[in-house]
Amino acid sequence: MSGVLWPWAAAAFRRAAGAAALLALASFILGPLLTLLVWAFAGTWLFPNLLPEFSLRWWAFVLGNADVGKAIRMSLLSAPTATLISAVICIPAAYAFARLEFPAKRALLLSFLSANAFPKIGLYVSIATLLYRLDLMDTFTGVVLIQLVNTLLFMIWIPTGTFRGINRNLEEAARDAGAGPLRTFFQITLPIALPGIMVAGLFAFIAAFDEAQGTLIVGTPNHMTMPVLMYNLVLSYPQPVGAVFSILLSLPSLVLLLFAQRYLRAGYLAAGYSL
Amino acid sequence: MRGAGLRQGALGLALVLPPLLVLGFLVALPAVTAVLATLTPDGGGGPTLANYARVLAARTLRADIVFTIGITLVSVAVVFALSYPLALYLRFSRGRAARILGVLFVVPLFVPVVIASFAMITFLVNHGLVSTLLYRAGVRAFPRLVYNGTGIMLTQVWVNIPFAVLILGAGLQAIDDALIDGARDVGAGPLRTFLSIILPLNAVPTMIALTLLFIGVFGSFTIPYLVGGNAPAMLGVTMTNYLTQYLRRTEAVTIAVLAFLIASVVGAVYVASVSRRERGAA
Repeated sequence: MSGVLWPWAAAAFRRAAGAAALLALASFILGPLLTLLVWAFAGTWLFPNLLPEFSLRWWAFVLGNADVGKAIRMSLLSAPTATLISAVICIPAAYAFARLEFPAKRALLLSFLSANAFPKIGLYVSIATLLYRLDLMDTFTGVVLIQLVNTLLFMIWIPTGTFRGINRNLEEAARDAGAGPLRTFFQITLPIALPGIMVAGLFAFIAAFDEAQGTLIVGTPNHMTMPVLMYNLVLSYPQPVGAVFSILLSLPSLVLLLFAQRYLRAGYLAAGYSL
Repeated sequence: MRGAGLRQGALGLALVLPPLLVLGFLVALPAVTAVLATLTPDGGGGPTLANYARVLAARTLRADIVFTIGITLVSVAVVFALSYPLALYLRFSRGRAARILGVLFVVPLFVPVVIASFAMITFLVNHGLVSTLLYRAGVRAFPRLVYNGTGIMLTQVWVNIPFAVLILGAGLQAIDDALIDGARDVGAGPLRTFLSIILPLNAVPTMIALTLLFIGVFGSFTIPYLVGGNAPAMLGVTMTNYLTQYLRRTEAVTIAVLAFLIASVVGAVYVASVSRRERGAA
């Protein structure tokens, strides 16, 4: 009897264990975010009530705060600047890494990993001491430079992979038909590479926009971006303030993600994060 | 022909030069000036290790170093232990649960670390959601989950699981199904197949994941700053405090260079592993 029941019981057990694991992971990942979401609409939330007393008054407080407006402006100026600068200097370089032969090519490509190979905060502290000497602390330039630390790698490596994946025959056919190298690049290569470049741009923007620890050191007190202001809000205001601001801070990345969704298949995600 | 090759070489270098200069300014130059600055004594004179001796003489700093390495190792181990099974599951399962998990686990990627830390605090803090649920369930005594090492570790796990799963998963995706079926056909069980086929074939992505995790946790600031306790602190917090609170730049940079030294072997293994994967792909 047990010999007949056993496989069925084992399958049921496996299924239950799988469901339990799924549930545990889901609550671990979504639990903190849901708590945050509820806090953003809470007036007061007293222990041990399961739900707060809802209110929108903290939204008025956050949106009416002058520092918040300033930080939003600083973020919306610096992150696109850093993304654009890295796109302009990195995309031609990525093309060169993919298509041209030149000395020390491999070593130079690998050197872009160095930003990842150092403990980030140590790097920021070292950059800060350099910026002190150059009088770039608490300047817009300093903030953009710090953000570039995180954008270069994405903008070099993802487009390099994309350009490598493009069939050379297409470019050669255009050349045979009489197009010059620049025309071939802009009319053939670049349009085909666009999805990869978009994904690189998205990652670069998110990395620049979310950069907090370096900007805290370099941009305080007059060039604070949204994530830097978030440190202050978390440490010195009631919880709903941080929660409301968290939602504001997530909006740009979320909008971009929805926008770029069709480019973001799993393969591209992996490409961005296996650097 | 030779002229064309030279021209291509020159063009390639010219195109690569601008981002390389920016990189040099942002990574190589600060790192080198930092090392040189820490070796120069305040009063002038030849190179000396006096700064290091002074910084390391402080017992609190030595405690911070031990704490940082400990938290880093535990966090990496927990992330890895959770991520590898998840990556395997996503690679070899086709059901609805796998699809849901496949979407769910990437969520933390798109949450800025500052928000993740704050969300973790509201979730885990005394009188937060977890303690409310435990209280309602009748559990009145449980260890503190936040403003200490446990909080740092849990938040690091939350933030880093997607990275690890994506890197490991990309490696697993590259393993040919035929190899795994072949192993099954000659009678290897799941464990045997994992140990003798999957694990070795996925060794390079595994090294990349482990080294990146180590460097990421070791060099973190936001999570220990917001979710950690006062003492011992992780080195990221310590060096930032020296720089911005105590205004002691030399000490801050000395601690930064110490952090570089501790993580240097791991950093080298990371670059070597990516280099090996590149060679395989190119």
